[in-house]
Amino acid sequence: MAVAGKKEDNNLPRRRMLAWLSSVGLFGSAVLAAVSDLVFFKPRVTYSPSARFSIGKPDDFPPGTRISRDVDRVCIVREGNRVAAISTTCTHLGCIVSIADTGFSCPCHGSRYDQDGTVTGGPAPKPLPWFKVTLAPNGEIEVDKNTTIEPGTYFTV
Amino acid sequence: MSIQTPEKSAAPAGVWSALKELPSNVWSSVFRNPVPSTDLERASTSFTNFFLHIHPVKVNRNTLRPGYTLGLGLISLFLFFILVATGILLMFYYVPSTSQAYDRMLDLRGTVAFGIFLRNMHRWSAHGMVAMVFLHMCRVFLTGSYKKPREFNWVIGVLLLLVTLFLSFTGYLLPWDQLAFWAITVGTSIAGYAPLIGKQMQFVLLGDTTVGQEALLRFYVLHVAVLPAVLVTLVGIHFWRIRKDGGLSRPEEAPKLKAAPVVVKTRIYGLQGFVRGPFTKVGNTPEDSVFSWPNLLMAELFVFVLTVSLILVVSLMFNAPLEQPVNVMHPPNPAKAPWYFLGLQEMVSYSAFWGGIGIPGIMVALLLVVPYIDRGTQGVGRWFARERLLANTLFLTLVTLNIIFIIIGTFFRGPNWSFVSPF
Repeated sequence: MAVAGKKEDNNLPRRRMLAWLSSVGLFGSAVLAAVSDLVFFKPRVTYSPSARFSIGKPDDFPPGTRISRDVDRVCIVREGNRVAAISTTCTHLGCIVSIADTGFSCPCHGSRYDQDGTVTGGPAPKPLPWFKVTLAPNGEIEVDKNTTIEPGTYFTV
Repeated sequence: MSIQTPEKSAAPAGVWSALKELPSNVWSSVFRNPVPSTDLERASTSFTNFFLHIHPVKVNRNTLRPGYTLGLGLISLFLFFILVATGILLMFYYVPSTSQAYDRMLDLRGTVAFGIFLRNMHRWSAHGMVAMVFLHMCRVFLTGSYKKPREFNWVIGVLLLLVTLFLSFTGYLLPWDQLAFWAITVGTSIAGYAPLIGKQMQFVLLGDTTVGQEALLRFYVLHVAVLPAVLVTLVGIHFWRIRKDGGLSRPEEAPKLKAAPVVVKTRIYGLQGFVRGPFTKVGNTPEDSVFSWPNLLMAELFVFVLTVSLILVVSLMFNAPLEQPVNVMHPPNPAKAPWYFLGLQEMVSYSAFWGGIGIPGIMVALLLVVPYIDRGTQGVGRWFARERLLANTLFLTLVTLNIIFIIIGTFFRGPNWSFVSPF
């Protein structure tokens, strides 16, 4: 009896240790599985058009132009020989803002912006971002929606 | 040896009599009981039938009072049945592709037999289910039924409300019409306002930066597979807990009835030893309980027939709306979410974070913890109990506010979300 009792005492911590290790292993696997699910659900590539695109020659936009390109969700502004691309995605909830006499207005929740995209009314929390504009080697204006620039910064063509 | 001879000669007669008894043998092998005529058979019918054994053998009379439950939970369940049936049928003709989805909607109208009718049933049942689940929650609150021991079942119920809303939301995108596209654009932008993980969550939900093919496919899979599976699981737990928490809530019995429990605690029979807490039979004296067959079954059948007939009539009378196909360039003005989210959209028009995430988050959190905060035991099982005046008043205030916001969003908002009068 004494021997058996002693044997049990010796085994108990080892069993506890093994049980504890197995639990950690199982729980860890579950966490890993959950994390890998998240990795799975976040797409590595998207099928939408590139965020960097050319919009045409500078001559297509005569001075004084304010054209909303809804497909690209940018508004091309040309004043004199200066060009800028202002986002037309409402900073509130992502609707497309339309050009109004005073600037831009959003049809979804009534946000209003001035000519430069600064918020003048409604629920929009941030001004409309301006995107980087460059001249591609082939002479076309290129807009890069991945890069926002300081509002009021124009590109001279 | 001498026994075998008569058996062999009797064999043809045995087969003949087996054939003669075949129908009744098959019947009795499927249905173990005759149509019940005694109490023992009534009990045994509920007990041995797979589809009926979800019921207790006997239910409290209070459970069957139409004025107490209003049948709201059952109506929600039956609407879900209709949604599953019509949804599976619609799946046979639907393609989750931006180039085909809208055409398939037109096909449902034009060429598919009963297509328009099935779509109407699915749409109106979905609206009905959102409303009924919400009203069911109101009933449970206003009768104090979330109190101990039913706290956790209330939590499951709140989760079920959220899953129901999410099911409606994902289903909204599938027709790929203007309403669908812009409602989802607005809705997923709200998700983008969540702190820290908002933008990531929006990207994972849409599978892209804007609502497009990836979003349509993701919403489709969520709508037809993931969310229904979650909902069925939760409904299973919800129903199981009703039984284990002692049946539907009811007013406390008079003390003399309580003194006569059927189960004697000192005696344990096998698995019954695991039964702790309130047992279904406690307090169910013969006077205040009735057999599930046929009383509960008839009540359920009545609610079922009523629900199905109502949906059929509504689907015959009104067609589910279908707007113009998606035009990414031109959002409708105003772009409105489905009615049950218009209260949310109205709040979002004041502040995107507080309206879309902050206040709804606090509301859901309050709903989840209310049974763990309101620990009073008074006023359970009665509508608008005087002892629960404070809790009921607070709850009704929040419900009324939400309804007011929905009404403002639905009727008083015009182009650019400016205030208009509907009169």
